[in-house]
Amino acid sequence: MERPDQPALNRVTHETDVLIIGGGTAGCLAAVELKEQHPDLKVTIAEKAHVDRSGCLAAGMNAINAYLNPGETADSFVRYVRFDSCGLVREDLVKSQAELFEYVVKKVEGWGLPILCDEQGNYVPRGRWNIKINGESLKPILAKAARDAGATIHNWVVITGLLVSGGRCAGAVGFSLRTNTFYVFKAKATLICTGGAAGLYRPNNAYDAQHKTWYSPFNNGAGYAMGIRAGAEMTSFEMRYVALRTKDAIAPTGTLALGVGAPMVNARGERFMAKRYAHLGGDGAPTPYRAFGPIQEGKAGRGPCYLDTTHISEEQARQLKMAYLDMYPSQVLYWAANDLDPAKHPVEVQTTEPYIVGGHCQAGYWVDVERRTTLAGLFAAGDVAGGAPFKFVSGCWAEGVIAARAAGAEAASLPPPELEQHEIEYHYQRTFDPLFNYGKVKYGVKPYDMEVRMQKIMEEYAGGASGHYEMNEERLVLARNYMGQLPGQFDQLVVGDMHDLMRAHEVMDRVVVGQALIEHLIARKETRWPAYQTRTDYPERDDLHWLKFVNTRMDPATGKFELIFHPYEQLVPGDRYHPGEKPGKGA
Amino acid sequence: MPVVVDPDLCNGCYNSRQPPCVRMCPGDLIVKDFQVNKAYLKYVDDCWDCLPCVKACPEEAIRFQLSYQMGFFNASLQPHIHRDRQHITWKMVDAHGREDTFTIRTKVMEVALDEKVEGEPTPDFSI
Repeated sequence: MERPDQPALNRVTHETDVLIIGGGTAGCLAAVELKEQHPDLKVTIAEKAHVDRSGCLAAGMNAINAYLNPGETADSFVRYVRFDSCGLVREDLVKSQAELFEYVVKKVEGWGLPILCDEQGNYVPRGRWNIKINGESLKPILAKAARDAGATIHNWVVITGLLVSGGRCAGAVGFSLRTNTFYVFKAKATLICTGGAAGLYRPNNAYDAQHKTWYSPFNNGAGYAMGIRAGAEMTSFEMRYVALRTKDAIAPTGTLALGVGAPMVNARGERFMAKRYAHLGGDGAPTPYRAFGPIQEGKAGRGPCYLDTTHISEEQARQLKMAYLDMYPSQVLYWAANDLDPAKHPVEVQTTEPYIVGGHCQAGYWVDVERRTTLAGLFAAGDVAGGAPFKFVSGCWAEGVIAARAAGAEAASLPPPELEQHEIEYHYQRTFDPLFNYGKVKYGVKPYDMEVRMQKIMEEYAGGASGHYEMNEERLVLARNYMGQLPGQFDQLVVGDMHDLMRAHEVMDRVVVGQALIEHLIARKETRWPAYQTRTDYPERDDLHWLKFVNTRMDPATGKFELIFHPYEQLVPGDRYHPGEKPGKGA
Repeated sequence: MPVVVDPDLCNGCYNSRQPPCVRMCPGDLIVKDFQVNKAYLKYVDDCWDCLPCVKACPEEAIRFQLSYQMGFFNASLQPHIHRDRQHITWKMVDAHGREDTFTIRTKVMEVALDEKVEGEPTPDFSI
């Protein structure tokens, strides 16, 4: 009874100036910026959950991890991010986000986010690029700001496709989880901020802990998928993200490594990063190597690995627990449930299943410096936008602002788009197909079953955790072939209610994202980011041939992917494999 | 099962159509059963352990424990939001039943008991 049986489906059309798909970290900042710059524009957010707790920030955050602490500059940030990304990033994008860190952090602080300050009123750093916050309510604070700014928010509206009219994005369509309604949003400019993709690979944990993932399991890559289907160009999917996290609880490790200075050790107590990866910076090596290191220790029989916290006092251990309680409470419960105390026991770490996420790595839409995608009228910001890793929360905010400024200027000067009825009908049918199959298809496929099939293919042929994230061309071609059969099965999906209809769209989106990912993994014939992209057949980095971006574009008519390569451009001088130093130190 | 709505403590937030736990779950996993006027976690296997539901429950009726594969019974962690909305006291019980509490200063936004969904007809029995 919680939801009525399927009555007739209603249809509504909303006309807006700017449509924001995804009311998360980037989307909320974009909405506020748009209303501030263009008070007369109508700004609409479509969000598949409730904006107060949707997306990655639902649980809260205890730090802002991309901020220019005193002495740092946008250029020094670019140098560090370039080093951390193994010498290949879109420096124009990274720099443009860094230039706005101060603006967005001050803005959100003004909305009521508590940022920890010392007695002089300066932010408390927690590492070179980090400051501490009390961010339990970070997400509701952002949502309230978007509401107060005057954005129209549609909660529980799952967007299933972009509308394209005359080669230009003209809005999007979707359905409501609550009211059996088909939504058509007609927009002069569309900004996509749906986040990255979890759930492509088999999760670390099973059964009732299958969603005990680091990245939000509800971020399914919908934004990538709808862009791919509409023919937008994607970049760098092959730079997957494999996160180093605490064992089982999958909690972030920055709180340990940066918060209490815990070094990583193997089962023998060796500081293996300093020992084996000194030439790359030891414990300060680029992030992929800090996942690759422990994976290799495990492979060589020297696992498990730990972040050694045993030097801290009982009081520091309490402080550590309190820091986790503001962001990741289950870590604290995990210690209590398993008789572990970080002051006495080193904290065991593991690596996660691979994710696709443009805010940590650089998978996403290929955008220009104003965050315009290759599809006219469509902008991208946050984890769904590519080329600019190390965004985290504040970089997603910054991108939301940058994209909002450009999208607002476009929307202010354009007439409303013309929509083609046959395209709307196509999307209506596609959106509800799995529901229409109910009662019609006798033995159908459940979304969960298809998800498991997809995860099995990705895990076993496309570099899953159980194979130490390694891959070669032969396996990847098998992955391509098996994944290529799944779209032909979409018409077998059967669901009985709106929640399961969402799950059906999530898995269909994941399949197309997985297909694009495989094309990227096959294309890059070097190993640039170990662990993220370990090619056993091309184990070395190859700057001579591969210092460039691998992009794909799917032809909407044929479903075939074409490869496009873009050259890397160095804007900030210096050694690309050196993290740089604080400008004050005279680097 | 990471979070469990205790049916003895849940009052369905009276006649709320969209109680806080239902609204705040980012995965649309909690539903209200209007027959018995109580909420429950319908999609147990899909929970992310993110806890907005637990913190938003005005009756403190949602219990947080780990999936059994993650940690031993009967450890639990329960937040209590102070009236000033500036502090949370977390009561932790370990697997041996030993209790510990942590009071942290943070900011917790108010959550309304109900919220109208745009486009949803107003039910006849609402007051």
